[in-house]
Amino acid sequence: MNITSRFILTLIIVGMTFACLWGEPPKRKAPAHSRFIKVTSDMQPLSAWQGPWHCVYDKKLNLIWEVKRDDESIHDGYWSYSWYDGNTGIADQGDCYFEASRCDSQDLIRNTNRAALCGSTMWRLPTPAELRSLIQTPNSPGSPHIASDFFPHIKNGDYWSNAADAQLPRAFRGKKRGAVAVNFHTKESLSLPYDNAAFVMLVATPPIQLSTALSGNEPITLN
Amino acid sequence: MRRSSFAIFHLMAVVVILFGLITGPRLAIINHDFLAFLSPLLPQGAILSTHVLSGCVLTLIAIAFAFVSLRNPFYGTPSKFDKLINWFGYISIILAIITGWLLWLSPQSLGLIVHGICAAAIMVYLLLHGVKHIVYKGKRVLSVLIPRNALVLLSCCVALVYCSGLGVQYFMLTQHLRLEIAPLSEHSFLEIDGLGDEPEWSRAKPVTLTTFGGANFTDGSSEVEIKALSNHSETFFLIRWQDPTQSLSHLPLEKTAAGWQVQEDGFYRFDERTYYEDKFAIMLSTTCELGGDGTVHYGDTPLNDKPQNWHGKGYHASTDGRVRDLWHWKALRTNDMYLADDNFVGAAKKVALGERRYTAGYQADGKESGAYVMNWRWYSPDTVTPKRLPIPTAEETPNKVLDWFSSTVYTPQSDSAKIGEQLPSVLYRSNRFEGDRADVRARGRWQDGYWTLELVRKHQTNSALDVDLQSGVCMWVSAFDHAQIAHTRHHRAIQLRYML
Repeated sequence: MNITSRFILTLIIVGMTFACLWGEPPKRKAPAHSRFIKVTSDMQPLSAWQGPWHCVYDKKLNLIWEVKRDDESIHDGYWSYSWYDGNTGIADQGDCYFEASRCDSQDLIRNTNRAALCGSTMWRLPTPAELRSLIQTPNSPGSPHIASDFFPHIKNGDYWSNAADAQLPRAFRGKKRGAVAVNFHTKESLSLPYDNAAFVMLVATPPIQLSTALSGNEPITLN
Repeated sequence: MRRSSFAIFHLMAVVVILFGLITGPRLAIINHDFLAFLSPLLPQGAILSTHVLSGCVLTLIAIAFAFVSLRNPFYGTPSKFDKLINWFGYISIILAIITGWLLWLSPQSLGLIVHGICAAAIMVYLLLHGVKHIVYKGKRVLSVLIPRNALVLLSCCVALVYCSGLGVQYFMLTQHLRLEIAPLSEHSFLEIDGLGDEPEWSRAKPVTLTTFGGANFTDGSSEVEIKALSNHSETFFLIRWQDPTQSLSHLPLEKTAAGWQVQEDGFYRFDERTYYEDKFAIMLSTTCELGGDGTVHYGDTPLNDKPQNWHGKGYHASTDGRVRDLWHWKALRTNDMYLADDNFVGAAKKVALGERRYTAGYQADGKESGAYVMNWRWYSPDTVTPKRLPIPTAEETPNKVLDWFSSTVYTPQSDSAKIGEQLPSVLYRSNRFEGDRADVRARGRWQDGYWTLELVRKHQTNSALDVDLQSGVCMWVSAFDHAQIAHTRHHRAIQLRYML
């Protein structure tokens, strides 16, 4: 190779290096979570970085979860509820702004079904097993044991399950029976009196339209 | 000097200079966005120590070369062009070494600029000198570059110079600034008010240092003066730093024809440098290594298996399993809480896939309650929906922070704001943190181009996320002039020495 060839080759290498460096960097794509998909109130699936979202589709359990908010709506994460299903439990012992009287779990279920959140009118309290399945290592110190990036505004407190008629610990002996709650701070399940003010995160079977939208969005198995 | 000896010096200098030249621009990207295009070519991670080591080794090579050349110079047969560019190279290298040491001894933004220009000149020299020889000599350049007949001598020289460089670096790194913490009587009471006007402060010996490389400061620098007093249970700090402007704006929301918009200039990539409040950060560690005790990792993806950051600057994280304490005072968000945000730098945290921002080891201590929150339901660079609106009052000057009890929930019907009106982005849900995050009381005041900040913390907080205050602990400080992450810095650690 003579001097001219080496010179031209050097110029080509330097030029190509700079051309590559000046190129537009590729756009970043949000990663997909193996279990959760964010869903808007009108049943549109979102990528992991998009928002706002109002439900989370749980691929593992084939359920949609209500997502708590910080907007003083009926889904605000600060509201608390006594356990009541219309027959069993004690009504209106929690704290919220959206009822003239105080709140119970039935109030949240009724209002959420009325609004057909994420296309469902079958909202209910989760089973203890469903709630416990959400427990994981916190995202940061002092945060609740849940995926806070998908379930924001979850408190370090007790969340009602649908399991009623549970025997209460001795401390509540005078209250007779209660319902089971899961605590996202201690990761424990515990029985609490019905009139205890605890938090609520509802769950529902996904409506057919949502399943269709999700299956069009990315290939997943609804099992 | 024999040709083989010259070749040994030449080869060692080439290797060390190349290390310096690939690590230097990575450090410079922190301040100079226009260099970001070089990022794919540059190494990432905790590279400051590599850069400093290359400077130490190059200094030794230069001294040894000058000594040997004076006694027994090497006579080559360079052309006029070679002579000219060689002198250009020698001068650039000598200036780079001198400015590098000046940056260590007395960091100044001007020194940083001259050091960068010298590095650019060395690159030009390498191109002219190296490319010319490669083009003219082809493969034969290797036989000139590598002294094959003196490989044993070369190995010995490399080992000697490398070990000596490590020794120089070790000596440098033990030259900490000392902050003597004067004793304070149990009967003396200091008010955390940002004034520092109690007579006890006159007994505290100040440490003054220049921090550099911050956005918006004059020349990127801010001179910081630190005093400290201690009784048996608490240490008080009085810190004063230059900041020409008092900035209390934090991403305000502005009503536009399209709706409410967040005023920003870089917030989307988490590097806001215009619509942000002033801040000050203090890091504490039981060790005093270079690069913020080894917690600074440069680059857009400096940590294995962790996401790329959005600003390309780097992450803070500890890689030795230990926690560094970080107190983060914020002129708008925490000043009226009379607190600094008690944070820490720990191991890089687990990735939360649903969050666009990842902060690696930089995290907040846990809290039991209390917080400020952003006054938007979901951030978008286009338009946002506020959470709350201020309740109209007779006061003409709106607060920079929205209090819960002086605001009401946002509804489109209640939104009577005119186009151009602004709304605070910071909403206090309560008036202070409670718990581990509230360990550091602090209050700052700005006057005549200076912030004065008083802080106090117990020596032991019994938190695994805090560092106990005791002799030997090292601290680093950073000032932020209405910038989210573009803070000033300094390399020499400040070591605490309790006089009590």
